[in-house]
Amino acid sequence: MRNTRSTQLIFELSRPGRRGGHMPSLDVPEAALEALLPAGSLAKAALPLPEVPEPEIVRHFTNLSTLNMSVDTHYYPLGSCTMKYNAKRNERLASLPGMLDVHPLQPDETIQGMLQMMYEMQQALAEISGLPATCLQPAAGAHGELTALMVAAAYFRDLGEKRTKVLTPDSSHGTNPASATMAGFKTVTIKSTAQGLVDLEDLKSKLDEEVAVLMITNPNTLGLFEPNIAEVADLVHQVGGLVYLDGANMNAILGVARPGDFGADMMHFNPHKTFSGPHGGGGPGAGPICVTDKLEPFLPSPAVVKQDGVYRLDYERPRSIGRVRSFFGNTGVLVRAYCYIRTHGGAGLRQVAENAVLNANYLLSQLADVLPVPQGNRCMHEFVGSASKWKAELGFTAMDLAKRLLDYGFHAPTVYFPLTVRESIMVEPTETESKETLDAFAAAVKAILAEDPELVHSAPHSTPISRPDEVRAARQPVTSCPVL
Amino acid sequence: MPYFYNTDDDRREMLEAIGAASVDELFQSIPADLRMDRPLEVGPVLTEVELTRHVGALAGQNAHAGNHVCFLGGGSYDHFVPAVVDMIASRSEFYTSYTPYQAEVSQGNLQVMFEYQSLITRLTGMDVSNASVYDGGSAAAEAVLMAISCSKRDGRVLAPESVHPEYRATVETYLENIGTRLETLPATAGRLDLEQLSAALADDVACVFIQHPNFFGALEEMEEIARLTHEAGALLVVSFDPISLGLLQRPGDYGADIAVAEGQSLGTPMQFGGPYLGIMTCKQEFVRRMPGRIAGETVDREGRRCFVLTLQTREQHIRREKATSNICTNQGLFALRATVYLSQMGPQGLREVSNGCLQKSRYAIERITSNPRFELAFAQPTFKEFVIRDTQNQVEQLLATSRETGILAGIPLGRWYPDLDDCLLVAVTEKRTREEIDAWVASLTGETSARKEQHTNCCHA
Repeated sequence: MRNTRSTQLIFELSRPGRRGGHMPSLDVPEAALEALLPAGSLAKAALPLPEVPEPEIVRHFTNLSTLNMSVDTHYYPLGSCTMKYNAKRNERLASLPGMLDVHPLQPDETIQGMLQMMYEMQQALAEISGLPATCLQPAAGAHGELTALMVAAAYFRDLGEKRTKVLTPDSSHGTNPASATMAGFKTVTIKSTAQGLVDLEDLKSKLDEEVAVLMITNPNTLGLFEPNIAEVADLVHQVGGLVYLDGANMNAILGVARPGDFGADMMHFNPHKTFSGPHGGGGPGAGPICVTDKLEPFLPSPAVVKQDGVYRLDYERPRSIGRVRSFFGNTGVLVRAYCYIRTHGGAGLRQVAENAVLNANYLLSQLADVLPVPQGNRCMHEFVGSASKWKAELGFTAMDLAKRLLDYGFHAPTVYFPLTVRESIMVEPTETESKETLDAFAAAVKAILAEDPELVHSAPHSTPISRPDEVRAARQPVTSCPVL
Repeated sequence: MPYFYNTDDDRREMLEAIGAASVDELFQSIPADLRMDRPLEVGPVLTEVELTRHVGALAGQNAHAGNHVCFLGGGSYDHFVPAVVDMIASRSEFYTSYTPYQAEVSQGNLQVMFEYQSLITRLTGMDVSNASVYDGGSAAAEAVLMAISCSKRDGRVLAPESVHPEYRATVETYLENIGTRLETLPATAGRLDLEQLSAALADDVACVFIQHPNFFGALEEMEEIARLTHEAGALLVVSFDPISLGLLQRPGDYGADIAVAEGQSLGTPMQFGGPYLGIMTCKQEFVRRMPGRIAGETVDREGRRCFVLTLQTREQHIRREKATSNICTNQGLFALRATVYLSQMGPQGLREVSNGCLQKSRYAIERITSNPRFELAFAQPTFKEFVIRDTQNQVEQLLATSRETGILAGIPLGRWYPDLDDCLLVAVTEKRTREEIDAWVASLTGETSARKEQHTNCCHA
């Protein structure tokens, strides 16, 4: 049924003289352009944009959409990404004109409903994190990391301390060291133990008074809660450093444990993960951060405050780091996250974590005999298996399994991250999947292991394309369709 | 909870398979003294019916472009969004998918990224576009960091006051910890003074960062600025208005090295400031220093054309602390919206939108300045925005009066420019009608507008 024409580029569908949208004729006097603008500022030629009528545009993009796997069409156990169900009510409510068509620079008195929701969102995230002060401005998780590190830098500058280092475990997300560089810090890597936890001895050897921040993901990227987290935080605090919690894995501990209670001074949330996104094909996200009281003065401006029952944006923040983007924040994402939080309530959020952890442990139990998990037989919301045994015995890799799973109608797990496990396969089921789906996924993995390795190695066989030549794409980059 | 599957029976079976006595046992790696002993307090649970009522009530308290006539701009605009944009972007195969790491099941997203990049390079005349960054402000900051890296100069970055104050503030925040200084040049006549630029340029300047049309809506002298900047060995970073390119010279035409934009105008609703679309483009020679995802064309094993994420060795998941940026998002859904918008508009439609903005804003200028109370703050040619001065210096009162007639009349500039505290920044998009503009004039001048009532009820497009 797939329409093969759907893979033509929009430019290849263009014919001179065709068009989609029409604007109404001008209802004001029209002056010659040359009379209004300097001749040198005007374009010399028509833009080389495609000329396509509306029905063709709709068919083109609708057909393209069918070439994607998505949460609404497939099981998507992509580790570290928390691909849970994206509630339709959230989409509808975020699309109300009173949310969608609000200009970001309207006077406070015209946006009291919006400000109330954002104020309540600040409070909800403070409660969930155990950290009292929230900033909703950052646009993504990595942006939240960067913002928090800038806040830390401002805090130490204010104290008159010169601290240059950020510590991150070797299993951390790549964004952690990249954010540290952008905030002007040097990254120092902390080793993990064979159990996949922070190596305390290595941490101690690298702690000194030049350490500004330890960035830690907890539960970590192996899906393990760091049992020594309180001691880790104490060690960092003893040298005057701050602890940053990468909140990517908050889905595992919602309502169970709070970063502020286990020693974090600052953290970010990924509302597009934990509070159900949606992910939008790679964005938008949001990256609100929560911090302790002593760091609050340095948060970006503005914050939503409430005085005498009236909400307003407070720009009077003299010690603030300033701004990390234009306007208030990724409000559309935050509105959906607010709806998600209110739909679950406090007890419901804990059930999110419980079901996410239950599903992950169940799937682990169904796969453990074929997919060795070096870090043990229990996990939080995700687990990381190693395919290195298959590579030796069957001749196919983690990537081969990932590709073959596509033929079975499952999105692949994350592969080759974290870097600390060889041939890693990172599976995050999420709480919005059934036991039957998890059973079917486990059965698919087992069926693949019994297949002819060559069939697996050459997979996928039933997807719109077979494996692309990535080397060619990188060596001879073609990143746009040339104008003929 | 509405989105869970597990029944008590499921839980029992699953725990049995795991070999655990209870769900609590699965959390035993969390030390007991670190666990919560009370439920989170985030307000009472709301069913869908209750949530709809609650959020509806909050939304109902907000003025918006559907029940007010919006003359606000400053980086976010009430442009018309065609229905095809909303319909395509509401396909859940697009909005519930994630980053296309598995190219074989993501060709829809990857081809859209490639078409987006192609449309943006055609729109801007630049060589390369990435698949987008967060928004106009952070795109500006990323562009400045990229220029520092490309120019190998880290002393100063120059930007005139006519650049969006929030973009300058963002750049300043990003530069704070890396030692490069943002030097703000005056724009007393509403645009950069070329002599001031010449005087400030030296061999420690990494780049000159210009917005064109600028925050005041005025055109900068781009060809001269480009010449002076390049003669000094610095790079030219431009923030442009995508809609303006239906009429104006493109950044690639006047020699921009890196061109960025707030892409909200291309089919994304205003939604109180985000999520938006950070457009980012550069010359070919700088592509390996470009942050963000890039889609590239290649072939599959059967030789069929297909698309993948490429040049990933620039990115954080591979390069970690040596990456070009920490960014690991593109605004996929809004890049999709821009792709559909530009396809729907085509060259002719975009020119009509652009011309509509220009002609209607000129009409608004003529009408308002025919009243002696109001004058243009600056004499420069403008595109879709302009700054008017209330010679009676009662901006806040004027705005309140206008609001009573259902008009959001402009943005007061005093917060950013104390010298302009008697001024309003006004944006007129192609959506505004002559009647709405007349009503806007009437609301500011006190002249009567016979049809005022209609505007407060105008239907939202």
